[in-house]
Amino acid sequence: MSAAQFEARVTANTRLGGGYFTLELEADAPTPVAAARPGQFVMLRGAWGRELLNPRAFSVLHAEGPRLAILAKPYGLGTRRMHALRPGDPLTVTGPLGVGFPDPDPAIRDLLVAGGVGLPPLHLQARVAASAGLAAQQELFYGGRDRSDLVMLDDFANWNITMQLATEDGSFGVRGRVTDALRPRLIQAQAAGERVRILSCGPTPMLAAVRHLGLEHHVETLLCLEENMACGFGVCLGCAVPVHGPKPYRYCCTDGPVFDAREVRWP
Amino acid sequence: MSARVPAVDPSQVELACEFGPLRLQSPLLAASGCFAYGQQFAAFTDLRALGGLSTKGISPLPRHGNPLPRICETAAGMLNSIGLENVGAEAFLREKLPFLRDLGVSVWVNFFGTDFPTYIECARTLGNTPGIDVLELNISCPNIKHGGIEFGTVPEVAHRLTRACVEVSAAPIVVKLTPNAGDIVAMADAVRQAGAMGVSLINTITGMAIDVRRRRPRIATTYGGLSGPAIKPIALRMVHQVARAFPDLPICGMGGVLCGEDALEFLMAGARCVQIGTANFAEPGACLRITHELRDVMAEVGVARVADAVGCLQAWPAEAELSG
Repeated sequence: MSAAQFEARVTANTRLGGGYFTLELEADAPTPVAAARPGQFVMLRGAWGRELLNPRAFSVLHAEGPRLAILAKPYGLGTRRMHALRPGDPLTVTGPLGVGFPDPDPAIRDLLVAGGVGLPPLHLQARVAASAGLAAQQELFYGGRDRSDLVMLDDFANWNITMQLATEDGSFGVRGRVTDALRPRLIQAQAAGERVRILSCGPTPMLAAVRHLGLEHHVETLLCLEENMACGFGVCLGCAVPVHGPKPYRYCCTDGPVFDAREVRWP
Repeated sequence: MSARVPAVDPSQVELACEFGPLRLQSPLLAASGCFAYGQQFAAFTDLRALGGLSTKGISPLPRHGNPLPRICETAAGMLNSIGLENVGAEAFLREKLPFLRDLGVSVWVNFFGTDFPTYIECARTLGNTPGIDVLELNISCPNIKHGGIEFGTVPEVAHRLTRACVEVSAAPIVVKLTPNAGDIVAMADAVRQAGAMGVSLINTITGMAIDVRRRRPRIATTYGGLSGPAIKPIALRMVHQVARAFPDLPICGMGGVLCGEDALEFLMAGARCVQIGTANFAEPGACLRITHELRDVMAEVGVARVADAVGCLQAWPAEAELSG
């Protein structure tokens, strides 16, 4: 289903600790965002007048009928305003946009590698897999600075999805980074001849490390990227992603946000 | 004191208007660089209701654009340094123009080169293709090197370039001027005398933003073009200056138009049509919404036709008249 722009209202703004919050929105009627695939995103803009012009991009955390939800953390002017939204406040939604992750495949184990506000695409992938009876094919690798950076763990537990958690201060899970947990798993898979695939979303330094690990172990690695974007639908050309191939750039909003790690031209 | 003009019924407002030899069904056009080649908007809005649209700037050969980051938001505006990325003239004519031609609205093709020969080559190729109503000669993009800025800031150079393009193009040439020029009236005069049918103004204003935590400019090329409502007062002033100096020169005004009232301000300042740029990013239906709002605000202030709005601005009485 193609994207649309529509009005919605906040129904809940839930603080999750660590600064994270979920915003739940509801439109007057079912929206095309309900068909969003994991990794697809929406552009959201509040009644911000002329001071803040552009909407902000958020991965879809969950969507059904007229409802949708996102996960965010106050960072800049836009997310700080969104953090302050209350039930009843209006938001303009554009979506679903972009190209998401592939469907769960019974023949492949998906290693879902998440950090920070990069959780939503993997949370939605896990939800989709669980409802397709493929939860056993999914494993979550989730890292943060401390315990407060790891949110929504109950959902993964309820879906019976194996979790490997890492915190840099060792306050929860193993001490270290998410890649420290991922590396031995890749070695194990390689040794066992197991077919695995990495789906990852998180801060760019984390994605760069995941990319290196995936390439090193010859594992299919799909990265869900984030770039500054003004429009989200292929017009402003602000969200260029450097790639290998005939053209030096592709676009995060319309070619991605999910890119094959081999294609991304990063150091 | 000016008497209050009675309102007219919105259904009596006539948006169809003239821009030089062109007949437009509405004075509102989508601006170059903010509308790509139009297709992306078809899913969101009725493109056939526009007065027209100006394409992304086209060069003879494709361009891949600038490194990242390319954009950042600023107070009431945004900076961009996309680098005139485009598909090139040949691919544009083959893959993009047929869609635009079928819309039945005024098709303006923005174009540029990097030197005289490439500008002229582009004008010749595009300007003799049926279905292109206007060639919008871009002498004002701040985001290319090779001294490109001279075309837009030195009147004598702009004059020669415009004349050379006019000579090879069957389509009329509208020159898009840069606010970074020292004297906008002198620039308008230079291109007018070179045979330009009209002028578009303004392009973005060169600006900068800094991320103090990373100690870096917020865009990779350090400077970028500022657009959005932050630049509207400057755009209005420049449109007004050029309109006052050359009342017969068609002006397409632009700079931070977000609503119908903004568009009417440009008409009153002397523009005969108005382009809508940055607003399209947040709201792909912006042009259509602004069209409805323009009709309503024209009705409210008692202007029934676009031509009646153009330049209807009244000066404040001078001190002598007040005390006299």
